Amino acid sequence: MVLNWNDVGILYQRELRSALRDRTIVTNSVLLPIFLYPLLIWIVYSAVTFVSGQNEGLKSRIMLKDVPEAHVRLKQGFEKDRSIVLGSSLDPRDDIRQGLLDALVEFLPPKSNLGIDDNFSVRITFDESRDSSDRARSRIAEKITNYREDFLERRAVQSGISREQFQNFWIDDQNLSSNQQISAFTIMLPIFFIIMLAVGAMHPAIDSTAGERENSTWETIMTAATSRTSILVAKYLYVATMSFIAAFLNLFAMMVSMGTVLAPFFQTGRGNSSLRIPLESAPLVLVGAALLALFISAGMMILASFARNYKEGQSMVGPFYIALVLPILFLQTPDFAFTPRLALIPVANVVMMIREAVQGVYHWRSIGVTLAVECVSIIVAVRIAVLIIQHEDFAIGTYNGSFGKFAKEWLLGK
Amino acid sequence: MSAPVVVRNLAKAFYDEGRGEIKAVDSISFECHEGEIFGLLGANGAGKTTTLRMLSTILAPTSGTATIMGHDVVHDPEGVRKNLGFYSATTALYPRLTTRETIEFFARINQYPSKRVPERVEYLIHRFGLEKYADARIEKLSSGMKQKVSVARTVAHDPAILIFDEPTVGLDVLNALDVQETIGELRAEGKTIIFSTHIMSEAERLCDRIAIIHGGQILATDTLAGLREITGQHYLEDIFVLFVKAGQETV
Repeated sequence: MVLNWNDVGILYQRELRSALRDRTIVTNSVLLPIFLYPLLIWIVYSAVTFVSGQNEGLKSRIMLKDVPEAHVRLKQGFEKDRSIVLGSSLDPRDDIRQGLLDALVEFLPPKSNLGIDDNFSVRITFDESRDSSDRARSRIAEKITNYREDFLERRAVQSGISREQFQNFWIDDQNLSSNQQISAFTIMLPIFFIIMLAVGAMHPAIDSTAGERENSTWETIMTAATSRTSILVAKYLYVATMSFIAAFLNLFAMMVSMGTVLAPFFQTGRGNSSLRIPLESAPLVLVGAALLALFISAGMMILASFARNYKEGQSMVGPFYIALVLPILFLQTPDFAFTPRLALIPVANVVMMIREAVQGVYHWRSIGVTLAVECVSIIVAVRIAVLIIQHEDFAIGTYNGSFGKFAKEWLLGK
Repeated sequence: MSAPVVVRNLAKAFYDEGRGEIKAVDSISFECHEGEIFGLLGANGAGKTTTLRMLSTILAPTSGTATIMGHDVVHDPEGVRKNLGFYSATTALYPRLTTRETIEFFARINQYPSKRVPERVEYLIHRFGLEKYADARIEKLSSGMKQKVSVARTVAHDPAILIFDEPTVGLDVLNALDVQETIGELRAEGKTIIFSTHIMSEAERLCDRIAIIHGGQILATDTLAGLREITGQHYLEDIFVLFVKAGQETV
């Protein structure tokens, strides 16, 4: 059938006008992306900060054993520390297992004596499965490390050499990753992107297909003097637009909120991590978002168009939504490489492309493969949708929400 | 010159897993003349809606042909729809558009000349007495007003042929009479109308010719006077029952 772009424009305008007057669609595609996710992140991180703050206030119950007399200052340091309570036990290991004690600090003879008087080694016994015990180990280690640094410096001065001469070699960190690469924002961005694209597409996809059936407007539009392809393309573009708008608004809202109220949560300790998309990567991010919006919209519309009503539509699109989001969670480890092979997997490829673009990394070969694969996937999905909409039983809704029945009749001719 | 609507041996079969092949419409033929109301009178499940769905190109016929203003329903469905206004209980309106937007949308999408659309919209708003509700959303209108807007959207592109598939189903008496009156007026404007119903009084009152359809077949087609003459019965109800019983005996 012939595609008439003038008709597509009229139909698209009608879809958009109706959608922007629908409370559910406006909520899901406009308000939710702007307010809900930044708000949720703020609530979650506030809660996490509150809980970790509470934990910081908890005292560690520690037993010191055989503290050398020369290091009485270390013992005094433990005694003065308000986050530590010193205690004793007949069977400290058992008490640690039972949670009655958090850690045991044993002072042992040095493993090698390099001519330093009063040298010693320390063994910390703790239970890693308990947070309080693990926290006690950290506190002890920090305290002893600080004491050792101070001790070494004093010994160096006594020996008439500098601290640097005394310590033969140093370890200096030099991190080559940019702030963008280590930013939690860039790690989370693709997840939110997919979620928002799917949320933005879901209600319009169901509303423009199953919703039309439920409202009995499906036959009204099917008897209009335009091709069914034009009707489908207009609906498709409308769903993709809503999906893209949702993702774009969410991205904008996240950037604004993360740069202000959420900024303290997303600092890595190496200075402020950047919470903005670099300008040079913006075109690729937008192309990726558009491709994903088109792909997700096609998939959701195909499934939703078999449903007779909104509820059926939701139950048919729901698994697709989960199938989209779940694999993306596995891609969130920073080590995952964007290889040409990975670029062959729809959705995952765009997610990786966006993530790397935000980090300022461009693997052009993988990007090329991604764009090609995504375009082919979209064309295939739209072709399937066009084939379906031409099908008569689909037009009058006799498949009763059954994609399986349609496939059986269409593919097997039964 | 051929009639505006020509139907020749039109048939439609559906396949049902439990019942096998079902002939919903079984080789029917008829013609509608310009400016007449042609009634399809039949009980529920007689094949009226399937016939009208084939004429409006929602369904493709299994066999046979049908033309609307010379456009074949299979080979030129868009040409058919351009010349056709289809109204049924299953053709509702978009609830979130206003009356004005609805009429404008259907005029444009049904290829009414774009320059004349605003004028046409105003004419129809005035013609159906919708001035007060022109900028109200459809979802806010009463069922009677929705009915009027539905008729207005059906004729928005000024088609030569109108199909009304059981238009008074679910309406109260006053609204039903209103719809009947409108259909009569549209005939007076020169429209060719196919009107399906199972209500005898409606058919008696409105139709110039009546086709009695049962079990997917047309049992008789004539004017009311002609049907009376053939059967010797006065009331359409009796005429209908007579044909249906005779049809069943034949089967």
